Amino acid sequence: MARTSIEWWLRFAFAYVCTHTQAHDATWVPPWVAPRLHNADMRPICASLSAFLVFCAACHTARSDWTLATSAALTHDDNVGNARDHASVVGDSSAAASASLLQLISIADGFSLSAGGDLSGQMHERLSGLNTASVDGVLSLKKKWGVGAFAPWTRAGISVGRGDYADRYRDATLYRASMEAGKRLDERWNFWAKYAFERRRAEPVEYGVYGMSSDVFSEQGRSFNAGVEYQLSGRTSLRLGSLLRHGDVVSTTQPGSFVYAYAKAVAPDPTFGPGAYAYRLEGTTFGARLGVDYSLTAHNLIGYGFQRLETHAQGGNNYTDSLSDLTWIYRF
Amino acid sequence: MIKNLFATLGIVLACAAAHAAELRVAVKDHKGRNVADAVVLAVAVDARNAQHFHPPPDAVDQVDKQFVPFVKPIFVGSTVRFPNSDNIRHQVYSFSAAKKFELPLYAGTNAPPVVFDKPGVVVLGCNIHDWMIGYIYVAETPFFAKTGPLGTVSLSDLPAGEYTVRIWHPSMDRAEETTSRRITVSAEAPMSAEWQIALKPSVRVPRVSGAGSPSYP
Repeated sequence: MARTSIEWWLRFAFAYVCTHTQAHDATWVPPWVAPRLHNADMRPICASLSAFLVFCAACHTARSDWTLATSAALTHDDNVGNARDHASVVGDSSAAASASLLQLISIADGFSLSAGGDLSGQMHERLSGLNTASVDGVLSLKKKWGVGAFAPWTRAGISVGRGDYADRYRDATLYRASMEAGKRLDERWNFWAKYAFERRRAEPVEYGVYGMSSDVFSEQGRSFNAGVEYQLSGRTSLRLGSLLRHGDVVSTTQPGSFVYAYAKAVAPDPTFGPGAYAYRLEGTTFGARLGVDYSLTAHNLIGYGFQRLETHAQGGNNYTDSLSDLTWIYRF
Repeated sequence: MIKNLFATLGIVLACAAAHAAELRVAVKDHKGRNVADAVVLAVAVDARNAQHFHPPPDAVDQVDKQFVPFVKPIFVGSTVRFPNSDNIRHQVYSFSAAKKFELPLYAGTNAPPVVFDKPGVVVLGCNIHDWMIGYIYVAETPFFAKTGPLGTVSLSDLPAGEYTVRIWHPSMDRAEETTSRRITVSAEAPMSAEWQIALKPSVRVPRVSGAGSPSYP
């Protein structure tokens, strides 16, 4: 597992470097190294990373705070495809790793600007077509309304990311805008809320269903999160979060007239096996998350989280989803 | 004339040295573990033993987004500088009654020094890095020191006599006055004393937050 993971990262890194250093000649990238990374896919990545590098260069002369963080997670999802029918429900486990680099620039009067990006990868145990390499660029402006650790704060941010899947028809660019607010009451209690709009833009699947849109993986939605964190002791903290999301959802299941009648788009989804179809529906998701974190040192922690999601989609296409994850985070 | 002056000074210094006493203190918690960063203060009962001296300038540094040292005892009236050894900017503040101040965002060593003119505990923070916390204990007596990793400290050069000795620690769950003891020290032999203090669990703003939490920055 570890060897495969390292090999996968090496391939990604090599492919990334190749694609950027020889951008004029896509054929230079050996297909055995990077069968899925092509110049067209990498354009948003190039643009966001270039912008980030320019930003970093501009900030180089100023005193700014670099924050490098890495994380690794093991996750189990009991309904990866968001299927309603028991026969179509597929559970899978995945391992993910990410590295993020953020630069914080403190501006006067409580304003701070942060910019950065992260590189992440996820590998699934069964559904290898969902294996992903993604890159994100983030820009946010934070205002702290006062001085001290207990002053309330607000933050507005935008991000652009690109997800490159093993099954290429899922590749997508993700745009997100968010507003956050929070307040720490004391050393123990911390509250926050977040509103986000996200849009996922993918290419229509080549072989669709006659008379229906095949642009099934292009979604958009709005979500509202609220959370509370309680510091149980010097090392242990508990987290409780809630989610309300309305927008497009993709449900992969066996063909059926019930879901077909309400779908905005339909396309075959061989990731889940022959005969599986992905349907884009409109739905509302309610979610709750419970987590516990244990600080190993001041710089890193391990955490366990459990999330339960319940989605009510058009036409009674309702499904539930439970995710549990074990996470390790290191912040330099 | 000058010869006489030196002779007098020599006699004074010799007398002072002859009357200097030492107090050795060990501080343990309620489980018998050594307590570091506890401030030990000795207040002379006889006012004649309370020396008047001008404290030297002191400093609390900022290293790896932490205040160094974590606890700094100083004499009332001391001037403290807050150099920033990180290559980023910090914004140091205190809301404590003993000293309220704020140093606007700065880097390097050019922040203006702060005079601590009232005794008491001053809690330091950084407005950018919420987990940063530090303590300055402004002592009303010049006889004080801080325990090391072994939970011990020695107050040397005390004028012989009677003192009220007390302990303070950031995590102590009782008022420091409850730790007061009368101790008499003499020049003949060092005096040793041990304190056992109850510490409450230390809960601080975490530097790293879990997945899904709005973390720094």
